[in-house]
Amino acid sequence: MREARRLLFIALSFAATGLGCLHVLAAAEENAAATPRILSIGGDITEILYDLGQQDKIVAVDTTSLYPANALKDKKAVGYMRALSAEGVLSVNPTMIIASEQAGPPEVVTALKSSGITYVDISDKPSAVGVPEKIRHVGRVIGAEAAADALAKKVESQFAALETERKHIKTPKRAVFILAIVNGRATVGGSGTAADAILRLAGVENAAAAVSGYKPVSDEQLTEFAPDVVVTMSRGGSDQHKAAQALTLPGLSQSPAAKTNKIIEMDGLYVLGFGPRAPAAAHDLMKAIYAEAGQAATAP
Amino acid sequence: MTTLDETRFAAQSAVRPKRGNVFIALSLLLAVIAVFSLAIGPTGISLQALPRAIAAALGYAPEGTAERDRLVLIDLRMPRTLLAAFVGAALATAGAMMQGLFRNPLADPGLIGVSAGAALAAVATIVLGNTVGAPIVSLLGIYALPVAAFFGGLITTIGLVAIAARRGQLAIGTLLLAGIAVGAFASSISGFLAYASDDRELRDLTLWSMGSLSGASWQKVLAVLPFAIALTFLVPRLTRALNGFLLGEAEALHLGIDTERTKRLTVVTTATAVGAAVAVAGVIGFVGLVVPHVMRLISGPDNRVVIPGSALLGAALVIFADIVARMAVRPAELPIGIVLALVGAPVFLHLVLKRGVGGWE
Amino acid sequence: MLEARNVSVRRGSKALIAQASLAIVPGRLTAIIGPNGAGKSTLLRTIAGELKPSEGNVFLDGTDIARIPVARLAARRSVVSQASTLTFPFTVLEVVMLGATVPGFALRDADAAAAAQDALTSVGLHSFAPRLINELSGGERQRVHIARAICQMNTARRHPGERAAILLDEPTASLDLKHQDDVLSLVKAQSQNGRAVLLVIHDLNLAAAFADEIVLMAEGRIVAQGDPNDILNEELLSHTFGCRLRVEAFSDGRRLVLPNAISRKMGRGVAAE
Repeated sequence: MREARRLLFIALSFAATGLGCLHVLAAAEENAAATPRILSIGGDITEILYDLGQQDKIVAVDTTSLYPANALKDKKAVGYMRALSAEGVLSVNPTMIIASEQAGPPEVVTALKSSGITYVDISDKPSAVGVPEKIRHVGRVIGAEAAADALAKKVESQFAALETERKHIKTPKRAVFILAIVNGRATVGGSGTAADAILRLAGVENAAAAVSGYKPVSDEQLTEFAPDVVVTMSRGGSDQHKAAQALTLPGLSQSPAAKTNKIIEMDGLYVLGFGPRAPAAAHDLMKAIYAEAGQAATAP
Repeated sequence: MTTLDETRFAAQSAVRPKRGNVFIALSLLLAVIAVFSLAIGPTGISLQALPRAIAAALGYAPEGTAERDRLVLIDLRMPRTLLAAFVGAALATAGAMMQGLFRNPLADPGLIGVSAGAALAAVATIVLGNTVGAPIVSLLGIYALPVAAFFGGLITTIGLVAIAARRGQLAIGTLLLAGIAVGAFASSISGFLAYASDDRELRDLTLWSMGSLSGASWQKVLAVLPFAIALTFLVPRLTRALNGFLLGEAEALHLGIDTERTKRLTVVTTATAVGAAVAVAGVIGFVGLVVPHVMRLISGPDNRVVIPGSALLGAALVIFADIVARMAVRPAELPIGIVLALVGAPVFLHLVLKRGVGGWE
Repeated sequence: MLEARNVSVRRGSKALIAQASLAIVPGRLTAIIGPNGAGKSTLLRTIAGELKPSEGNVFLDGTDIARIPVARLAARRSVVSQASTLTFPFTVLEVVMLGATVPGFALRDADAAAAAQDALTSVGLHSFAPRLINELSGGERQRVHIARAICQMNTARRHPGERAAILLDEPTASLDLKHQDDVLSLVKAQSQNGRAVLLVIHDLNLAAAFADEIVLMAEGRIVAQGDPNDILNEELLSHTFGCRLRVEAFSDGRRLVLPNAISRKMGRGVAAE
């Protein structure tokens, strides 16, 4: 019994001190606010808010808000957008939550919607129509319709320019978008994905269109795709070897892309985020792919 | 010089704490941690706000912050604490019962296929929910996953018992081997579905498999309440019988224990407890294996203490881990499974190295 | 009181026991002997109610035990199995107390502990109560399990006139001579206290020394049963065990079985003095 009592005492004192510390820390953070306080969930939404000059109203973002780079540094982070914590979100005292429709888990979203805080679902269609729609929706809910309309119009004109450029492409190339390589297996972006959309916008045929969603594929399937170009995602520069690795995959080593060493690496949020930079991303991609062939057009 | 006999005697005596004292101490621990869980959260709202929150819940909203206090204290922290307590108690009890039934300190509910079955159902809901299973999933809404996980676990286990029982008798050896086979089969189908899933589904799957109580709600508390009540009545009826099983199945029969009934009841009770816990919180490992072990270090192997004690200690442990999960990286949140392993594994190792090794064969 | 009538036990097509009939009686110690694989343990486990006979029945005071609830049965007979192992670190007292927890009349903890302590005293282990069972020697452990069986019979509630039985499966296996003697004396004392005792044992001489009746089995059948002096018959045993055995008779009528080899070395007439 003495042993047991000591054990319990130790456990209790640990619990008490640990929890006590946390409590003090938590209490220190509580403060009130008068200006609108926006919680932005989704990299594209954060980007739109910054573009609309609303960054001062943002109090916190989710961890997918990687652009602009200072968003995650200046604002509090409420975690990954699909694993939010209700009380964590409440603790940043937002008066408005603007969230991508992908935010979750559903129970937390339900709780937040019932909390009295304005909760805005922004639909997430990766397309030339979806982006301006998104921008206008965000502009509407924060009362910046004019700025949003201007931004949306700019994006629309960029997409339009991109479309004319696409018409100049005589022989479309075939590309594969590789999201990640795990254990020597590539996860590719199939139809219905943002990767597929950005390839189309860049005037490239998605060689993996037969796959639906982001799926890991076998080397044999990769062989069948026989892409002219491989597009991969970077996470900030130091991933050079990973990109190079893609072309050494047995399924790609005989592809036209490997023969011409045609591999393009782009920032993940930039190409897949479908924020205001989507037309630029598509344009960059188009330029990188068609530059050598001499087909590329002028800047939009 | 000490003689061999003296050292042997010194090592052999085991002093057991009184049962009542163990329960009182553990209940106190649980109560203290539960109060902390209500008092602590990323918003920094403390228990002082509780009267205001209750007033708001009853419809008298005296001032501006009351509504928010109500939301945090009554709609978020309370159900979360209660669910954490249920999940911890259910998993720890299930672990203790499995270890008793299989007479093995390493046994856990995974052996009877319930985890694999629940996981399979959850994977199927996540992966097929948008396509083939869409009508069912949209009917159940956000409860599709918990409901599927619960029935997945229970059905797998009942199927397992049907396979393992021959000529009306459930052989523990067969149950164990069939459990491994059924578990592997279910896992392989899960693997196949995961293979066929896309990136986002895969992320949801991973998050689910790390467990979380962030989705706690009063609806979920109400949903597990019948299970909590049933387990509170059922489990104590099994503890004495499971003590007999510690001598061996034949010996248990000789002691007058209805072994067939005990085996089936234990398996189904365990599956129900684990199924309900997995349904509301995802996969949370570690509790079922470790808590009964710690209980045995405290009280000796008598299941009449180990099993109810595990319920109390498991509840306290999971509530504590959940506090850490929501506070450590606030305003974000850690998966509770990670917290449990991170905090619990070193403590467990320490206990085993310091006290426990001699006790096992 | 416990009686097997024409009991057969089959596992697949193989008969483990064929047409065995055996009754044990209060106040008497019955020993089952026979070569390895004769079905001794199987018969004991069938009589204990652990195995269901393929044919025939086992009766307790005339009632088929298949129709008696296990808890009722546990009030009438206790069993010491071969080599019970405990995975978890129980104390000696806790193991013996399990004997006082038969469903339906489980004692309060304090009473169970007192009963367990009494049973431990009766097997000469009164100071062993707080020790961990997996740290005891084989002989001590065996006595703890016997104490548990005794405790079960001491505490179980029975109607007046109902007698208790204790069944032991090779309780002397792997014990040294002193402990063999200790354990069998203990068991004998139980039968002398009016309990029916059934014992499976390998050592023919120990069986002859302690048993009131011997049952000789071979290949699943009961070959002979009766007074130890009748069973310890050179011809019968040599035939049953398939080797030359010598039975030496002492002047007081007791008999001693020796394998032929030992008997030759010692020369004939050991018992003649």
